[in-house]
Amino acid sequence: MSETIVESTEETAFLDLHKKFVEENKSSSALSAIHESALSRFEMLGFPHSKHEMYTYVNTKKLAATTFAVSNPSAKIDLIEKHIYSGCENSCLVFVNGVLDRSLSKLKDIESSVKISSLEEKSDTDTLLESVENENDVFACLTNAFCSDVTVVEVPDKGQVAVPIQALFVSTGNTSLPEMHSPRLLWKVGKLAEVKVIEKFVGMQEGYFTNMVEDWRVAEGAGVVLTQVQSDPFGAWNFHKTRVHIKRNARFHSANASSGSVLVHNHFEVRLEEEGAEVILNGVSVLKGKEQVHNFIRIHHEAPQCISHQHFKNVINDEGRSSFDGTVIVNQGAQLTSANQLINNLMLSDDCHADNKPNLMIFADDVKCAHGATIGQIDEDQLFYLQTRGLSKKFAKELLTRSFAESIVQTIQFSEVVKELSNTLLKKLEVENV
Amino acid sequence: MLEIKDLHAGVDGTEIVKGISLSVNKGEVHAIMGPNGSGKSTLAKILSGHPAYEATSGEIIFDGKNLLEMDAEERSLAGVFMGFQYPVEVPGVNNAEFLRMAHNARRVKAGEEEVDPLDFDELLSEKMKMLGMEKKYKERNLNDGFSGGEKKKNEILQMAILEPKLSLLDETDSGLDIDALRIVSEGVNKLRSENNALILITHYQRLLDYIKPDFVHVLSQGKIVKSGDKALAIELESQGYDWVTTAD
Repeated sequence: MSETIVESTEETAFLDLHKKFVEENKSSSALSAIHESALSRFEMLGFPHSKHEMYTYVNTKKLAATTFAVSNPSAKIDLIEKHIYSGCENSCLVFVNGVLDRSLSKLKDIESSVKISSLEEKSDTDTLLESVENENDVFACLTNAFCSDVTVVEVPDKGQVAVPIQALFVSTGNTSLPEMHSPRLLWKVGKLAEVKVIEKFVGMQEGYFTNMVEDWRVAEGAGVVLTQVQSDPFGAWNFHKTRVHIKRNARFHSANASSGSVLVHNHFEVRLEEEGAEVILNGVSVLKGKEQVHNFIRIHHEAPQCISHQHFKNVINDEGRSSFDGTVIVNQGAQLTSANQLINNLMLSDDCHADNKPNLMIFADDVKCAHGATIGQIDEDQLFYLQTRGLSKKFAKELLTRSFAESIVQTIQFSEVVKELSNTLLKKLEVENV
Repeated sequence: MLEIKDLHAGVDGTEIVKGISLSVNKGEVHAIMGPNGSGKSTLAKILSGHPAYEATSGEIIFDGKNLLEMDAEERSLAGVFMGFQYPVEVPGVNNAEFLRMAHNARRVKAGEEEVDPLDFDELLSEKMKMLGMEKKYKERNLNDGFSGGEKKKNEILQMAILEPKLSLLDETDSGLDIDALRIVSEGVNKLRSENNALILITHYQRLLDYIKPDFVHVLSQGKIVKSGDKALAIELESQGYDWVTTAD
C-alpha cells in the first residue's frame, strides 16, 4: 500500500507561489539553478515548529500562514532622498522591493573602485550554490528560491573605497496583499581591501516581508565596517541573514540598530576561517508596543588566534519582546581563540519579555572565552543619585535608559547614522514613553 | 537656615534616629561625629530624601519650608546638597554633560536661561582648576571606574557647580589618602561663604584639621549626646567615643 504524504498548507502555499514566480520571471540558468536547489532545501527543512533550535523564541506561525504576493520591483518610488545619508549621495545602491534599481542608484563616487554586477561569474554561482546546499535557515532558503536577481559587489585586491557605500532597501508595501521581497547580495572584498557599508531598511507603508540574505567573503588582510539600520513600519516583517567568511588577518566589524516591527529576525553566521581573523558584532534595539527583535548568532572559530566580540543591548517597554540566541563554537585546533559575548536587557514594563541564550562550545584547550547576560530594571540607586542633583525622576529615568542604549549607538562609525538614530531610535525613550 | 526638631527616623520599621534636634545658621560649619551605628548615615539619608528612609516624627525646616515633604530633586533645587559616602557609578552618562544638566535644572528653577555647552565648559574648567582636577574628568562617564578619591573629588566638583546653600558631606574623608584629603578639604574651604552652611558627617577627627568646624556634635544611639566646639573633636580623638557615650 502506498503512503500519501500530506504537506502542511503553509509550505504548499509557498511552493505554489514559487511556480507562479518561475512562470512570471525569466531567470538565467545560473539563477534558476540556485532557485531549484533552494526550493528543494526549503521542502526538506519545512517551516520551523516551536521546538526548532533556530526559532525557539520566535513565533513564525503567523508569518508562515500569511498569503504573500511576489514582489513588484518596478513599483514607482519617490522621496527616497531623505533616506540617503549625507556623504553617500553618490555611492548609493537603491533596492526597490528587493531588487537593485540602477536608475535610482547613484554610483559616481564608487564607479572606479567597486564593481557591481548581477550573477555573471561561474565562481560566484558556485559560491552561492554551496551556501544554499548548507543552508539551515528555512527563511534564507526562501530568499534563495525567490530572489529575482543577485547583486554582486566586488572590491578588488588592495581596493580602498574612499566613501561609505549605502545600500538602501525600500519597500512599497501592500496592506491588502502583502508582498514578499527577497534581496540577495554577495559582497566580495579582495585582499587588503577596505570598505564601509551602511544598510538601511525602510517601507513606504505596511504590508511586506523583507527576507534578505547577504554573503560576505572577506579576503586576507581586508577590513569591513558594516552598519545595519532597520527602521521598517510596525506591520512589516524583516528577516535578515548575514553570512560572513573571514580569511587570514581580516576584520569584519558590524553594528546593528533595530527599531523593531511585528517581527524582526537578525541571523548572523560568521566563520573565522584562517589565523588572525577578527569579528565584532554589536547590536541595539529599542522596543515598545508589541515590537519584536530576535537575534540568532553562530560564530565559528575555525582557526587559531581569531577574535570575536559580541555586545547586544535591548531596551524593552510595553509588550515588546526580544531574544538573543548566540553560540560561539571553538573548533578543535582553534587555539588562542579570544571570544566575548555580552547581552544586556533593560526591561521597562511588567509585560515585556526577553529571552537570552548565550552559549559556548569549546573543543580547544588554550582559549579565552567569556559570556554573560543581564536582565534588569533601572537602577534605583542611580536614579536617586541623579535626583539629588536636581534632575526630575522622569528626566533621570530617560537619561539612564538613553545612556544604556547609547553606548552601542556610539560604536557606529558614521556620525550621520548616529545623529539619525539619536532622533529616531533613541527618541523612542523620551519622557512620555518611559 | 536648617532646623531639625526632635527627629525620629529609621529604615524598614527600625528606628535608628531617636530624637535629634539641631539648628544650623548661615555661615556655620557643623561636624557630626559618632561611632559606627550611631545614626550618622541615617540622618544624612533622611536629609537627602532617600525613599527607603522614613521620618516617623519630628520636623526638618529648611529656609522656612518643610523639608520632609519635598522629594530629593526638590531639595536639591531648593539648595540642599548631599555629598555621598559612596557615590554611585553611572556608566554611559558623560560627566560634563551631567554637570551641565544639573546646573541648568537649577537655573531653570530660578527662572534663568539655560547655559549652552560652550559657556558651561568655561565655568566647569574654572571650577575644576580651583579643585586641582584634571581635564579627563570632563570626558569620563559619571563616576564610572573612578577611584574612591576621584569619586569624592567629583562630589566636591558637583558642589562647586551647584553652589548649594546647605551642603551635607557624608564621610567625605573615608577612603582618601592624606594628599587627596588635603585637596578635597581645600576645595570645600574655598566654597565656604557667609551665605552657605556646611554639615560634615565623619567618624574621624582628621578631616576637622583641614575644615575647621564651629560646632561639633557627638551622636550616639540615635541622639546627640554632647555638643561643643573644635576642642571636643580633639578630646574625642585622644579619649575615644566611650568617653562621651558612657559618661551619662
